[in-house]
Amino acid sequence: MLAELGNFSLVMALVTAVLLSIYPMWGAYKNHPQMMAMAKPLAIGMFLFTGFSYFCLTYAFVHDDFSLAYVANTSSASLPIQYKYTGVWGGHEGSFLLWVMIFSTWTVAVALFSKAIPVKMVARVLAILGAIGIGFYLFMLLTSNPFDRLLPFYPIDGKDLNPLLQDFGMIIHPPMLYMGYVGFSVAFSFAIAALISGQLDSTWARWSRPWTIAAWSFLTLGLALGSWWAYYELGWGGWWFWDPSENAAFMPWLAGTALMHSLAVTEKRKVFKSWTVFLAISAFSLSLLGTFLIRSGVLVSVHAFASDPSRGLFILGLLAVIIGGSLFLYALRASQVKSNGQYTLVSREVLLMGNNVFLTAATLVVLLGTLFPLVHKELGMGSISIGAPFFNQMFTYLIVPFVLFMGIGPLSRWKNQSPQALYKQLTIAFGLSLSAAVLINLSYDQVSYMAVLGLVMSFWIMVTTIMEIQQRIRSQDNNQSANFSELKKLTRSHWGMVLGHLGFAVALIGMALVSAYSDERNVRMAPGDKIVVQGYEFEFKGVTAHQGPNYTADLANVDVFQGNDKIASLVAEKRFYPIQRNVMTEAGIDSGFTRDLFVALGEQLKNGDWSIRIYVKPFITWIWGGAFIMALGGVLSISDRRYRMARLAKNNKANKTANSSTAQPLSEQVS
Amino acid sequence: MNKTAFYLIPLFIFIGLLTFLYQGLFSNPREHESTLLEHSVPEFVLPDLMDTQKKHTQDVFIGKITLLNVWGVWCTTCAIELPYLKQLQQEGKHIVGLYYDQDIDPDFGIKTVQRVQQEVNQTYSQLGNPYAFNIFDVKRNLSLDLGVTGAPETYLIDKQGKIRLHHIGDLNPRVWANKFAAIYAQLEAE
Repeated sequence: MLAELGNFSLVMALVTAVLLSIYPMWGAYKNHPQMMAMAKPLAIGMFLFTGFSYFCLTYAFVHDDFSLAYVANTSSASLPIQYKYTGVWGGHEGSFLLWVMIFSTWTVAVALFSKAIPVKMVARVLAILGAIGIGFYLFMLLTSNPFDRLLPFYPIDGKDLNPLLQDFGMIIHPPMLYMGYVGFSVAFSFAIAALISGQLDSTWARWSRPWTIAAWSFLTLGLALGSWWAYYELGWGGWWFWDPSENAAFMPWLAGTALMHSLAVTEKRKVFKSWTVFLAISAFSLSLLGTFLIRSGVLVSVHAFASDPSRGLFILGLLAVIIGGSLFLYALRASQVKSNGQYTLVSREVLLMGNNVFLTAATLVVLLGTLFPLVHKELGMGSISIGAPFFNQMFTYLIVPFVLFMGIGPLSRWKNQSPQALYKQLTIAFGLSLSAAVLINLSYDQVSYMAVLGLVMSFWIMVTTIMEIQQRIRSQDNNQSANFSELKKLTRSHWGMVLGHLGFAVALIGMALVSAYSDERNVRMAPGDKIVVQGYEFEFKGVTAHQGPNYTADLANVDVFQGNDKIASLVAEKRFYPIQRNVMTEAGIDSGFTRDLFVALGEQLKNGDWSIRIYVKPFITWIWGGAFIMALGGVLSISDRRYRMARLAKNNKANKTANSSTAQPLSEQVS
Repeated sequence: MNKTAFYLIPLFIFIGLLTFLYQGLFSNPREHESTLLEHSVPEFVLPDLMDTQKKHTQDVFIGKITLLNVWGVWCTTCAIELPYLKQLQQEGKHIVGLYYDQDIDPDFGIKTVQRVQQEVNQTYSQLGNPYAFNIFDVKRNLSLDLGVTGAPETYLIDKQGKIRLHHIGDLNPRVWANKFAAIYAQLEAE
């Protein structure tokens, strides 16, 4: 019964989405305040209906309602309770419900937290979100309804959740990722609303900045969690595989990073306006493209959902309408935009443009690398595969100039920067980072040039970031002594940038060192055997059997010694899930600040020995730590007083201008 | 107007992309076409499975239409396929095996060649031997060069030693009728 209510509620959400897409838009066009005022209650309605629908599906999971086809396919009676809650997004239909749930949450957030923005703009933005919503709700109801019944013949027990997803990382990875993906729909809607209204000035950039940063922070966390999950759950010990599904999430992140920076330039300097709009359209379009690639089964990947051409066709239709429509609108309107800022060849504008160029190039590399095999095959030239070596090589080329710009950009001035003034600082920064990188690498037996390069880049970012803080404090007070209390005067959004850049440097250290100095051994061991890897002695104690709630497992016990001290006792598992007939590895990992010790259990060999993988991974946790710092920077940026104060200050002003058709761009506040 | 045309570029690129995505929907991503189609079999010198002193090279394919079948005793689908291959052989087809063994591994290797031969003979006694001879791809180099993705796979090679067809998965009467029969007849006529 509750499932039918859930289904009905989903239909109601579709109806509110339809209304939301019509009334406020019509109201904005006709200048009709009541119609525009409909936007907020409709957005809330859409959120509540979706939320109730989501609740109903969760209820069905928790109460083992196997008469629902989706529950029967993704859950089982013996599934541990926490996975019944998270199993809701363990398959195609449910994860799409989570997707629309998050989508309606963003929509309602825009409706509630946009008091500072003119009513007309909010009405348009919400109407566009509603229009996007129509597509997604229709998709759910027509091709992937999680409430479909298996009556009258339903199974006694379900087919169980895919064991890969029965894991903590999987509990939080998809919601974070979707928050990011879907969050770009807000920046997209702001851009489209600006295009429709023809007011492509810098105000829309100001309004969509916090939303973009929020979405970007979630996406950063989502990507890091996914990478972390792949590391410990897939048992390969790698942290990035250039799998199509990873690429699908990475492209919006790259475009989103570019957008975040470009929005800053557009807001502060009123230049690159049409480029910024294009990036806003691209970031969300790439999210949609990623959804299509993963859910249509066009590409082979670990993630691929059961492929059904009708679903793929529907999403493709959505892509054609949403992306095609917005690019068409873009072509009509962007050509009339004039960027009127002035700047010279060496200036922060140009350096940020450089950053954008490299991020865009990186996005294109991933896009081409992901789609080229498909295009190649459809052109009848046979099948090829593009793997990690291609991406790694391209990214090594791209990251060097990118990082160079990343160091110089924050140090330089808007409009015009004399190169001579920077010369001294940059020489010092380069000297410092080069010597630090070389010194650290000398502590390894075999120095890797790539690791030196990676560390030079990390230190370069760190040193220039610190220099920038110094410079900022000096310019604020015109005094030469930079003492600690001065640091407090920097705005939170400034600290956001600092953390974002430092986080990137931290992640880069992890990537460089783990790529160059990992030690990976696949060995055969009998109980009692020992092996020394990078000074750590691994002793294999043997394998014991274990019975879990919905699986059986072999547990391999491995003790690790350094010198005579026992530093870790690792347990690597090999689980067998009988319902899905799946074998899973759970690696035994000892995480440390400077290294991870990683043990995974392989097959039992014929004479009773076991094959065991033993990895020593230096600094690998820094990769995810760095991503976390970056996301934290995003959070700091959003919480900046500027956005809160501006809201209060503008409230009055916005109310006054709401009814006039020419809402003036609000005064620029350059921090 | 020129300016609008410039801003229309992304839209056109996107439309181009859409057509490929549309086509992609209706083709199977797991289906691979060998990159070597219409090319000669790559050069190799490999031992015969049953007599490792005897060496085969790419020239063994010259002069006869050959079905090169990639298999191993460890592969269950291959075992299902063997009786049908036997039937093909009785119809007069020339079938050569490309044998590779998963357990002969530099790190974990515990199998001897004698052991492999014994296992193969055992399989023959149960299911029949369709092969004229078997090329033993010890290090799997030839399989890699051929673009083998797994077993079983079958290559149709013409009298000049050129690969004309690559089939992934087992060979059965249906696959033969749909995919092989026409090309085989054409090759016989050449």
